[in-house]
Amino acid sequence: MGVIPLLLYAAAAAAYTVHFVRRDERIGRLATAALAGAALAHTFLIGMQTVRVGHAPFGGTTGAISAFVWVLALAYLYLEMSTNERAMGVFILPLLVALEAIVASSPGATTLPEALQSAWFALHVTTLLFAYASFALAAVVGITYVLLFREIKARHPGFFTARLPSLQVLDVMNGRAVAIGWTFLTIGVVVGGLWVLKMQPQGASDPRVRAMSLLDPKIFVALICWAVYSFALYARRIVGWSGRRAAWLSALGFVIVLLNLVPVGYFLTKSHNF
Amino acid sequence: MHLFLLGLSHHTAPVELRERVDFGTTGAERALDALMGRAVCAEAVVLSTCNRSELYVACDDSDRARHELSAFLAEFHGVPADVLEPYLYALADADAARHLFRVAAGLDSLVVGEPQILGQVKDAYAVAADRHVTGTLLNKLFHAAFAAGKRVRSQTGVAEGAVSVSYAAVSLARKIFGDLSRVNALLVGAGEMAKLAARHLKTQQVRHLTFASRRPEQAQALAHLLGGVPIPWAELEAALATSDIVISATGATAPILTRARVAAAMLGRRNRPLFLIDIAVPRDVEDTAGDLEQVFLYNIDDLHAIVSENLAKRSAEIERAEALVAEEVARFLAWMRSRDAIPTVVALRQRFEAVRVSELKRLEPKLASLPPDVRARVDEVTHLIVEKLLLTPTEQLKALTDRQMVVAYADVLSHLFSLSEEDEEGSDLEFRPDDGPAGRNSRSDPKRVS
Repeated sequence: MGVIPLLLYAAAAAAYTVHFVRRDERIGRLATAALAGAALAHTFLIGMQTVRVGHAPFGGTTGAISAFVWVLALAYLYLEMSTNERAMGVFILPLLVALEAIVASSPGATTLPEALQSAWFALHVTTLLFAYASFALAAVVGITYVLLFREIKARHPGFFTARLPSLQVLDVMNGRAVAIGWTFLTIGVVVGGLWVLKMQPQGASDPRVRAMSLLDPKIFVALICWAVYSFALYARRIVGWSGRRAAWLSALGFVIVLLNLVPVGYFLTKSHNF
Repeated sequence: MHLFLLGLSHHTAPVELRERVDFGTTGAERALDALMGRAVCAEAVVLSTCNRSELYVACDDSDRARHELSAFLAEFHGVPADVLEPYLYALADADAARHLFRVAAGLDSLVVGEPQILGQVKDAYAVAADRHVTGTLLNKLFHAAFAAGKRVRSQTGVAEGAVSVSYAAVSLARKIFGDLSRVNALLVGAGEMAKLAARHLKTQQVRHLTFASRRPEQAQALAHLLGGVPIPWAELEAALATSDIVISATGATAPILTRARVAAAMLGRRNRPLFLIDIAVPRDVEDTAGDLEQVFLYNIDDLHAIVSENLAKRSAEIERAEALVAEEVARFLAWMRSRDAIPTVVALRQRFEAVRVSELKRLEPKLASLPPDVRARVDEVTHLIVEKLLLTPTEQLKALTDRQMVVAYADVLSHLFSLSEEDEEGSDLEFRPDDGPAGRNSRSDPKRVS
């Protein structure tokens, strides 16, 4: 599934890389066009799957990763157009390609178990997707911050100095992305928790619903995530941890997000395996 | 129509002479009026910067233009012609276009890739365009030059990187703080270097400029001169804590900003970056202060290293820039050559139209009995036939890029269709192209083909 979006994402990744190195405006526009094309093809694919299974195909781990790639691509495109800054693309695209490769090599969307077909569930998934996309952007911005910081600090400005926006802009972007992501994460976790509280007393027959507890790996790691980002927010606002420390924290947080999304989602969780 | 350029620049003339033939801001307008009054050329642009004075014209006779323009230049500036002559360069057509494109791209500048020249070329063109002394040729030439300049700047590195120490410091500050209007700057020391640096910061519109000097009267004088606040030397530490950019240029023999002092200043800053620029020799800032978190320390050698690296990078890009310019020149020349065919195209069309009109005239008695709408149809059909017959030859002529071919084709066509002997052979024709474009059918207006 999803071979065409994968190929387009890969083409965009190549174009963003060439653009980053050579700084040719035309190749930059080509890269954006390829990414927009990929997102469009991806939208089409998700639409087809929706028609086939009768609901948004975000349920299973594969579906969730696919939807994450889609939301992240759109979020990045929005960021690029609103800031007119194309330098981040080269860092985002490899992630999109890697995750979309997992999607393309997995079986297609499956019908959601009846127990999960509710508005609560849809809200839970959507908010978490937005949260993860924000965290991905924050991490990428953080990584670029560190790269630029090192170059300037070492008194040898060059490659990244010529290509990236200022440290101040990157820091503000990182802070905003973490704050937005944290808000969505909080909503998503709360909605999920409320839903479980609502479902479990009804003695749900689905074993997954019964497995939903704080000790389930997927839920546990999500809470660790929440703790890390809460700390990042607190540290920035109250302690004044901006800049390099904030950048590293957001990168760490996103590593945990990725762990939760891929290995935990596929192999460990008993509550979220659809 | 030929393109012709006469001028002098820092490559050919010493500054004393360049000053004498500088047109200045208002001079260009007067010069254009005077030049057009001489009826040497059909179009003109005067480009005058501190490094060059150049006249770009469109004329019929390059030799005459060469002669007239140098006389004009000498007369206008009151410089004897024989003094001026050895420093002038004269270029025509392709060479003139290439020269302007290289100028616009910053390749002909003293510091390769300097940013102002493209704007100056645009201004020079705007002055001439406002006075309506530019036409098809110079309009196209200058717009193509702007495009070439823009392309070279965006697609090569010739205009990239700071090539002066002060600009290197300012662009680093921008990379750290983004917008400098929210940044406080502190100047330590009151020597010439400090003054120069403060001037640069002032033009960057930093929020606050603070001056500290061991001799308070000097800090006061600088603050008064450049606009800012002088502080007593004792308050240096407090000022350090509230500043974002610190430029140090004192004559002290031992470091003033020790690591301990900077570390103390960083405590209350909540991780806000501090950019220390040490342009003093011997150094004012202890080198290890640069290891502190969120402190960026650059000394004069670091800045010099950046500048020389940027200069080297720029010159490495010149070859690519020249290749781009060559491409743009080739494109412009192709357009210019396609224009060479236009007189032939116009003559050919007028010839065909004349035949059509005269034939209709001859058949007038026979056509008179037809109803008006049928007669209109006959007119339309004959017109369409002429248009269709001429379509391919017109396109082929315009596609010619080799000047000799154009001339050869023009010769053949005027021979085949007697294009140049209209008066002798075309005496039986009612309509003559020489009558101007006011043919009966408005669609035969020669302007349409250009």
